[in-house]
Amino acid sequence: MAPASTSPGMAPASQRLNSVEELERYRQAILDARDPETPRIIVCCGTGCQASGSVEVAEAIKKALAEAQVEARVLPDIKTTGCHGFCSRGPLVIIEPKDIFYQRVKPEDAAEIVEQTVKGGELIKRLLYKPQDAKEPLATTHEIPFYAKQNRQVLKNIGHIDPFVIDDAIERGAYRALAKALTQMTPQQVTHEVATSKLRGRGGAGFPTGLKWESCAAQPGPRFVICNADEGDPGAFMDRSLLEGDPHSVLEGMALSAYAIGSERGFVYVRMEYPLAVRTLVNAIRQAEALGLLGDNILGTGFNFHLSISTGAGAFVCGESSALMSSLEGKVGRPRAKYIRSVEKGFRDSPSNLNNVETFANIPEIVTRGGEWYRSIGTERSTGTKVFAMTGNVYNVGLVEVPMGMSLREIVYGIGGGIPNKKELKAVQTGGPSGGCVPIPKKFLDIQMGFGKLAEIGSMMGSGGLIVMDEDTCMVDVSRYFINFLVEESCGQCTPCREGLTRMLEILTRITQGEGRVGDVELLEEIGQFTNTFSLCGLGTSAANPVLSTIRYFREEYDQHILEHKCPAGVCKPLFHYEIDPEKCTGCGVCRRRCPAGAVSGEKKKPHLIDQALCIKCSECYRGCKFDSIRIM
Amino acid sequence: MKIVMDGKEVKAEPGQTIIEVARANGVFIPTLCHNPALEPAAMCRLCTVEINEGRRSRMVTACNYPLRVDAEIVTDSDILRQGRKLTIELLYARCPDSETLKDLAERYGADLNRFPQQNMDCVMCGLCVRVCEKVGGFVLALSGRGVDIHVQTPFGHLSDQCIGCGSCARICPVHKIQLIDEPDGLRRIIVRGQEVSRVMMPTCGVCGKHFGPIIDLDQVLTRAGEPGVSPFNRDICPECSRQRLARRLAERHFEQYQLAAGEEA
Repeated sequence: MAPASTSPGMAPASQRLNSVEELERYRQAILDARDPETPRIIVCCGTGCQASGSVEVAEAIKKALAEAQVEARVLPDIKTTGCHGFCSRGPLVIIEPKDIFYQRVKPEDAAEIVEQTVKGGELIKRLLYKPQDAKEPLATTHEIPFYAKQNRQVLKNIGHIDPFVIDDAIERGAYRALAKALTQMTPQQVTHEVATSKLRGRGGAGFPTGLKWESCAAQPGPRFVICNADEGDPGAFMDRSLLEGDPHSVLEGMALSAYAIGSERGFVYVRMEYPLAVRTLVNAIRQAEALGLLGDNILGTGFNFHLSISTGAGAFVCGESSALMSSLEGKVGRPRAKYIRSVEKGFRDSPSNLNNVETFANIPEIVTRGGEWYRSIGTERSTGTKVFAMTGNVYNVGLVEVPMGMSLREIVYGIGGGIPNKKELKAVQTGGPSGGCVPIPKKFLDIQMGFGKLAEIGSMMGSGGLIVMDEDTCMVDVSRYFINFLVEESCGQCTPCREGLTRMLEILTRITQGEGRVGDVELLEEIGQFTNTFSLCGLGTSAANPVLSTIRYFREEYDQHILEHKCPAGVCKPLFHYEIDPEKCTGCGVCRRRCPAGAVSGEKKKPHLIDQALCIKCSECYRGCKFDSIRIM
Repeated sequence: MKIVMDGKEVKAEPGQTIIEVARANGVFIPTLCHNPALEPAAMCRLCTVEINEGRRSRMVTACNYPLRVDAEIVTDSDILRQGRKLTIELLYARCPDSETLKDLAERYGADLNRFPQQNMDCVMCGLCVRVCEKVGGFVLALSGRGVDIHVQTPFGHLSDQCIGCGSCARICPVHKIQLIDEPDGLRRIIVRGQEVSRVMMPTCGVCGKHFGPIIDLDQVLTRAGEPGVSPFNRDICPECSRQRLARRLAERHFEQYQLAAGEEA
């Protein structure tokens, strides 16, 4: 798709900010206009909450406010505010200035919220959040462990600003770093701060950002700044939330990079499946250009930086840097077999600095507060914070940001709230299709999140996907899932990835269908190590990781599938069946009522029985039984 | 720049690829998708070698890796042999009966029956696409993604741009592209069992035979960087054209000698 460039969007000269001082006065004016006592109602309209109906909640609150004649500002005015992160509890409504946190709000609650809380200053207990083992609910956001244990740096604005209103971002400091860099620092000094911070790429590879910028700046121009917003890992939504919730942090980061390396042209390559992110970005660029914060002669300093947006077309492989640049050039999105770095010859054979969305979002604060400050967070080899998208079998599913070095235990239990339904934690999958599983039975729960430790045990942190898996997860099926994804997404150019992964999928499918053979695991290992060594691009050289790491740590499970024709987790249907334990069954009848196939029979208060001929193994009985009396056999 | 290949120092110029240096120094590296006249694609991965430029050993493809600093290269090791063996086994499964693959299989001890076979008539080397772009009508391309990737004309339609040069058929390492010349002068090119072009060969105005193809020399020479072509006769086959030229030369030059010879005698 050809780049969709923004219109010049030059506002009347009176609105354009022509100096750093004018920007500061503009910012101050916004701050002065705000009365800290006026209540502000924030409705989360991140993707998750929207799906739960938060837009209707916002409309209902607006209506209730109008009827009750209260002076308050409902955020968002234009339907969206970014993702607050606590996705399992949406729709979320936060009332400032008291920071009251309401969860699972329905449109019917609107009138009560306005009456009781906004006007009356009283809390509505049933809408407050109560942690798993607590007696009393918590009233404010900052008390909630999910938030209290995080370190929201990169995400600090999301949920407080309407991403379609640039004034909100400016009020909270947007473009302050750019103003400082353009007037008080040389390009080399900016790069030096980034190098001092030891920031490493957040897209998964973890390349030192300062070094990348230095290498690019050393090449003869013209140079390009490119943002990789093709977030493709299944279950990952870190970049999405940043783009949809605080686009200016990313744009400012790109502008700072352009200043540091000497570039006047930038592109954001967004995956086609993020139309809301595209809309947010287009609007943000237009508003920034209108104020003179992007485009020609930024803040009157003579520095130019023009940004365009290009979208993908549904290919995971276009997250790979050379495939991305090929696609950006209008060619087919296939990785290029080249041994010359893109900082030397990238987009249009010119020096190009490609960074991930989250990497760019980290830059403004590094410039404002210095690289030393950034280094003080995290660990020696992994500085700063990391955003994770925590999904799976955990109470508090959502978006979290923590300092590097925090342990898995703290994230899954402290922030995630632990595993629901009294299940055992089995593994945590990190790094998406390029990553691996951290096996909990092997006592890795205290492993520190970062670039080093996870890689040492055969996994990797990756871009931030974190899937919590309980005992009902079949690790063979997990590896089949990831290989299936990669077989579909492989570009097909090179033999190892195209043929090797396809053969691996055939083998894994057979195993999950009960047709595994002796030697299958060894064959998977042989092909897996082969693709990891001989493939053309990063997709291929990391594709076998989920398979190899599950074989390494869950070999018994593979053996059970192949040698005993059993799936102990109760996932691979041909390899298990459910049986009711007559000793434990109380005859409550819940399973009988839930069964969609009429396979359960029994009298009240007598042990029930499953007719295997009728059972379709949907797991409804298993999940509904409160007496733990259904066995996976 | 000091390059050591399999323990021996070899002559190399900065910027040369590993395979160029290997070939110049008599070192064997297996290839399938490589042709020295075309841009390397590094798709088959057979030419992978181990290289160490001072820090750590890496696996790189020899066909496109540019040597710029001192390096130690290993072209044959257990891991490389294992990888080549598996590559051949995987490729044979999609293109059985190929003599080229059988020869490679013998060298690396590959088990040709290891994987279930499916006749795809192609090893996805991309050579036909690259040569068509360089000297042909630029009608072939790689379409699709993953295992569905295949060589195709635009949208799979019969091409009206093909010039019938047959470079694709000649360069295919597994000889799966067919070039069929019909008696009435129609040239048909078949890729993977699908007809991609039907080009009518011109007829010679002198001998009546079909000849061709008519290559747009303008285009080829411009692409090669040498513009400027004198037009040539499209109604006469090369054979008859040579004969006509020879006769003209004889008329112009030999007559004088005959006269001279006659005078002497």
